[in-house]
Amino acid sequence: MRRLPAGVRTWLALVPAGVVVLIWLAAMFTAVRSSLGVSRLRGWSQASTDAYGALLDDPLFWEALWFTLRITVVSTVIAAVLAVALAAALRRRGPVLRALAAVPVPVPHLVAAVLGVLWLGPGGLADRLLGGMPLDLVRDPAGWGVILVYVYKEAPFLMLVVLAAWGPAVAAREEAAATLGLGPLRRLGLVVWPAIRPALLTGSAVVAAFAIGAFEVPLVIGPTAPETLSEYALQAGRGATLDGRALSYAALVVMSALTVVVGALAALGLRRRDA
Amino acid sequence: MTGVHAQPGGARVLRGVDLRVPAGERVALIGPSGAGKTTLLRVIAGLETPAAGSVRAGERLLDGLAPHRRPIAMVFQEPRLMPHLDAAENVAFGLRAKRVGRAERRTRAAALLAEVGLDGLGRRRVGGLSGGERQRVALARALCAEPALLLMDEPLASVDPDRRESLRALIVGLQRARGITTVVVTHDRDEAAEMGERIAVMIEGRIVQCSSPEELLLAPTSPVVARFMGLRNIVSGPVREGTLACAAGSVPASGPDGDARVVVRPEGLVPDPDGTLTLEVREATLLGSALRLRLEGAGLALEARAPVGTAHPPVGERVRFRVDPGAVWRFPEGEGPGPGLPAGAAAEAAASQ
Repeated sequence: MRRLPAGVRTWLALVPAGVVVLIWLAAMFTAVRSSLGVSRLRGWSQASTDAYGALLDDPLFWEALWFTLRITVVSTVIAAVLAVALAAALRRRGPVLRALAAVPVPVPHLVAAVLGVLWLGPGGLADRLLGGMPLDLVRDPAGWGVILVYVYKEAPFLMLVVLAAWGPAVAAREEAAATLGLGPLRRLGLVVWPAIRPALLTGSAVVAAFAIGAFEVPLVIGPTAPETLSEYALQAGRGATLDGRALSYAALVVMSALTVVVGALAALGLRRRDA
Repeated sequence: MTGVHAQPGGARVLRGVDLRVPAGERVALIGPSGAGKTTLLRVIAGLETPAAGSVRAGERLLDGLAPHRRPIAMVFQEPRLMPHLDAAENVAFGLRAKRVGRAERRTRAAALLAEVGLDGLGRRRVGGLSGGERQRVALARALCAEPALLLMDEPLASVDPDRRESLRALIVGLQRARGITTVVVTHDRDEAAEMGERIAVMIEGRIVQCSSPEELLLAPTSPVVARFMGLRNIVSGPVREGTLACAAGSVPASGPDGDARVVVRPEGLVPDPDGTLTLEVREATLLGSALRLRLEGAGLALEARAPVGTAHPPVGERVRFRVDPGAVWRFPEGEGPGPGLPAGAAAEAAASQ
């Protein structure tokens, strides 16, 4: 069979990524259009940024934005730190322990949230085991229940990502560093961290982007107020009015912008390493 | 090190190793694959915990000491450089443990890079260096740590054959100039002879002889060592009045009467109508620097070597051979195939070469 020219093969290899980007761009276009109030009934001539103005004037939106950012940053940082610790503890262990540690990865977020309620709720498993919970984590206005569920779900995922990067080649370099006089902490900082950093950064960006947009965990275990951005968008969209629909889409556009910022920050971090 | 046993991963690899390396000496550790050479280095470096025995550096007991607390640096088979750093930062990597500043690190790295023949390559990413250059960086990195003992695990293994010679000369030159006590592992006899002031032969987890290269070739302590060093002409039989009798004839053998085993160096077997051994020429091969004759007779399989251009008897002919007494070494009495080694060990060790 004749081989295709190198240029054509390169473009063909980009097709799957291109399809994904196109789907996202098409959805974004629709969301932006709807947030501007454009629909079959109201054409582009009647487009306005009123929904964004209403969003910026709404104190509930700002509460939702800060609450979402707080949950995202705190859960992602804790999950990342825990993932490195788990990977360090399990990297020389057999596949059984690793598999056990990775059990939460395939569990759906909704199921994890329900498990969270069963464990952490009043009269739940933890309550009975400990003879009374010192904190109320379900419907907690600070969102610790949501954070806990995200950490339970994402730390094992990030652990797998870190373990994949922390392979035998890194272990070999750690040995070389040890014979050069570097203790365990300095080896972690100077040998292991540069090796796992790109994977951890990329994985954390994925986790953070998910936490920004997901609504099932906050709905099941989170507080009624404040809401997360996704809950805010969901509530706004439930109204029968066109204005409510535009507001909902405006919130979704803001969420998408946040995920783009997260992706850009991760890309910047990766470029800084390569520089 | 004395009485060191080690069983990494459950398999008994080191079985009571005793080795003493005087300060400033260069010892080549040689042995077949799986003999335990790398494990021995790893135990000395603290990367492997011995099941028994102890390791000292001078008067200092190293047992239980973490690798980074030992005055030891190691060059591995593969360079194990840090891919995110340039060549100079790799060389100065050990100085980070001593909290040496960046400017000082780069100055010292530049000097060492010049010493290993990589002058001006300090800013290069290590991914852009050749295998030989990378191993030079690894060598400079180990020297930069100023260790009391330098361990090298087959440092030429990942280097192109045509660059090995210069790197080998560099290693020997740097060791001589700095007087660092060095143990270098190799599985190549010629390399061991060039790199070691003494050679320690390791077979099945034990050091069976540690001598100068000359002594190892002229006076091996056992047939195992002789075979490993490429001396396969081993003849056994009763000795009476300075002559060892065997089915193919006789061989001069000094020492007391009684059963004995001797090794005959291949250049000591010379075709001669008045010779005392009768053997059939099975094969004549012109090697690069010598003519090799494979000989058989009465259960013996021997090898003779002569200078290139020497007339030799035709293949298939039974010929008498003279044995030069100076080319015969009688093994010390009581030396079996090796201390505690199974009977087949000698053959396996020789075969692995």
